[in-house]
Amino acid sequence: MLREEKPLSGHDSLLIIQQMIDTAKQEQKGDGMGWILWGWLLLAASIGTILNLQYQWLSTFFFWNAFGLAAVFLGIFAAGKVIFFKKTDGVKTYTSEIFKKLNVGFFISLLFIIVATNVGVSPLRGFPLMMSLYGFWSLIHGALLNFKPSIIGAYIMWVLAFVALFIPRIIEAPVNDQSYLFTWVMVLHALGVICCYLIPGHLANNEFRKSSTGRLVNERTRV
Amino acid sequence: MSAPVFNELDPILHSQLRLAVMSLVISVKEAEFTFLKEKTNSTAGNLSVQVQKLKDAGYIDVTKQFKDNYPLTTCKITPKGVSAFEAYVKALQSYLNMGK
Repeated sequence: MLREEKPLSGHDSLLIIQQMIDTAKQEQKGDGMGWILWGWLLLAASIGTILNLQYQWLSTFFFWNAFGLAAVFLGIFAAGKVIFFKKTDGVKTYTSEIFKKLNVGFFISLLFIIVATNVGVSPLRGFPLMMSLYGFWSLIHGALLNFKPSIIGAYIMWVLAFVALFIPRIIEAPVNDQSYLFTWVMVLHALGVICCYLIPGHLANNEFRKSSTGRLVNERTRV
Repeated sequence: MSAPVFNELDPILHSQLRLAVMSLVISVKEAEFTFLKEKTNSTAGNLSVQVQKLKDAGYIDVTKQFKDNYPLTTCKITPKGVSAFEAYVKALQSYLNMGK
């Protein structure tokens, strides 16, 4: 516990400054649970769709519709937590303010692409567009937090998005078999999600847990 | 060997809890009292006194309001506080360099 009585040495002062700034930085980075949840939902929808295309259990977009419902439900749950239970982070950072706007822009653009795929744009084009949007979000996120895994994930996502965009030219599909090409797009989408959301998310979560443990140790050893 | 005493350093900042609070509020846009209490692992009474001292020195702005019948205190660093913190870090660096 921090007390007032002990005289501070120069090193003590620097240690306090460093610890507190690290704490604030970690607060901005968060525990990565948002990326992990979003990533696993996207991955489940991609793999579900791949299997569904293979075995023809349900309609082609069943898993994506289920994903949409889950996303809406989670969105309502998150909003409810803030509105009804007044759960706030207790701190406003300049980065968190930018993230809020970035997330609004991301979800509006995502919605735009989803609507576009429902009014005529082929899913073979729509999903690569979504992948490029994921890459954009991840790059900005990584750059603002100086978190390299997100930046690397963004570039991998863009490479995969480009490959997915040209899948109809790269892969020779049986005549009129769009589902064969769509399966490949889903495979690339799943790979992109792993690199862009899941790996950075789990790394951020590990870092967060390590730093939390470190903080506890520091607090115990503090005078 | 006892720790060296730096009389020339800003006495308002040269205290564990006040320095911790300043280091936190300089890193964020604004912070609630509960956040500062949690991150500095201090007691509400002690933190309240130190926050008041920083406020009196003009280093932070303290806003007290009510949110759903609960008091909500938020702290924000002032330009004077930023300058003082920068000067403190600079002075600290020069002392540490002198010791090398």
